[in-house]
Amino acid sequence: MKNSEEAIGKVLAGLRDAEAQAGMERRILEAIEERTSTHPSATPRWAWSLAFAGVVVVCLLMAINRHGQTTTQAQHTVAPESAGTQVATLLRNESITPARAATHLQRVRQTNGADAVLLQEMRAPSHPAPEAPLTAEEKLLLRVVHTGDPQLMAMLDPDEQARKDEAIEAEFQKFAEQSGKDDHESDQITE
Amino acid sequence: MVLFATESAREEVDLATLVETYSRLLFRVAHSVLRSRAEAEDVVQDVFVRVIERRRSLREIREMQVWLVRIAWNLALDRRRRVRPVQMDDSFAESLAASSVPADERLCEAQRMSAVLREMERLPKAERQVLLLAAIEELGTAEMAQVVGRSESAVRALLFRARTRLRERLEARGGER
Repeated sequence: MKNSEEAIGKVLAGLRDAEAQAGMERRILEAIEERTSTHPSATPRWAWSLAFAGVVVVCLLMAINRHGQTTTQAQHTVAPESAGTQVATLLRNESITPARAATHLQRVRQTNGADAVLLQEMRAPSHPAPEAPLTAEEKLLLRVVHTGDPQLMAMLDPDEQARKDEAIEAEFQKFAEQSGKDDHESDQITE
Repeated sequence: MVLFATESAREEVDLATLVETYSRLLFRVAHSVLRSRAEAEDVVQDVFVRVIERRRSLREIREMQVWLVRIAWNLALDRRRRVRPVQMDDSFAESLAASSVPADERLCEAQRMSAVLREMERLPKAERQVLLLAAIEELGTAEMAQVVGRSESAVRALLFRARTRLRERLEARGGER
């Protein structure tokens, strides 16, 4: 019994007397300073929200623009025989003269010809673009993947990172609430 | 001196003072889990990185020491899962064995220390945490209670049970031999 007590006491004393190597504070401050200078503070959430809203607006504008083009194109890509029908419709309209209708027919035919070229180009078999050289970031990413460091790999997983961030946030909130509650209680006691 | 100033003067965090005040305690906390000086120092550094990340909301923290110890403890546990703790435990046990005794006795002593560390790791989580935090001798019962999220009487009971269980298990191991 004495032996085990003694051994426990010795281990616990060893843990108590553990000393860091001299200059730990300086090393920590230097490392943190270096880290904060190379990694500027995280982008605030509102900035991400603003960026996201910007992207959405740009997408919407592009979609509206494309829709407008498609509608115009659809009006112009009526089958060739319908060009004649359009002219007939125009002629039926009393305000339009035959000479003006002929000009319109010519314009419609020209448009249809241009569309045919576009359609042909669109239906042609596509060839992939030649492989672009890797950027410095991509090369770095490849190196990280090849070394297979589990910690770095986990950092690359956005889900894992998000889970970790959430856990930290929850822990912090819980602690902040708890310490706030404790303060409130102690205030009440002193009152 | 590194000073991280935020929007208002009230939110200023003097990191150098925090490092000066708490780094040794945090080192011991991390070392009690990892039993490696280098790893423990890395943990302390990570703790202060967290402080910087949280500098805007530090005003909400009433018990800075308790909060930092909790972070250090959790980060040390995370790290212990990733590294090879047995090797670190063995070298720490060897460092505890007296250098003045003959080599065979020293080896025997180191093995006994290793056995204690192994049994410590087998203790229930809360008992182990209280035992190690108490070993540091820098935290009072009230602070330990805040760190582990229990009452002070629960902490005292956990500490008593941890020591009793550890002693019984070591004696049982000794009897088996």
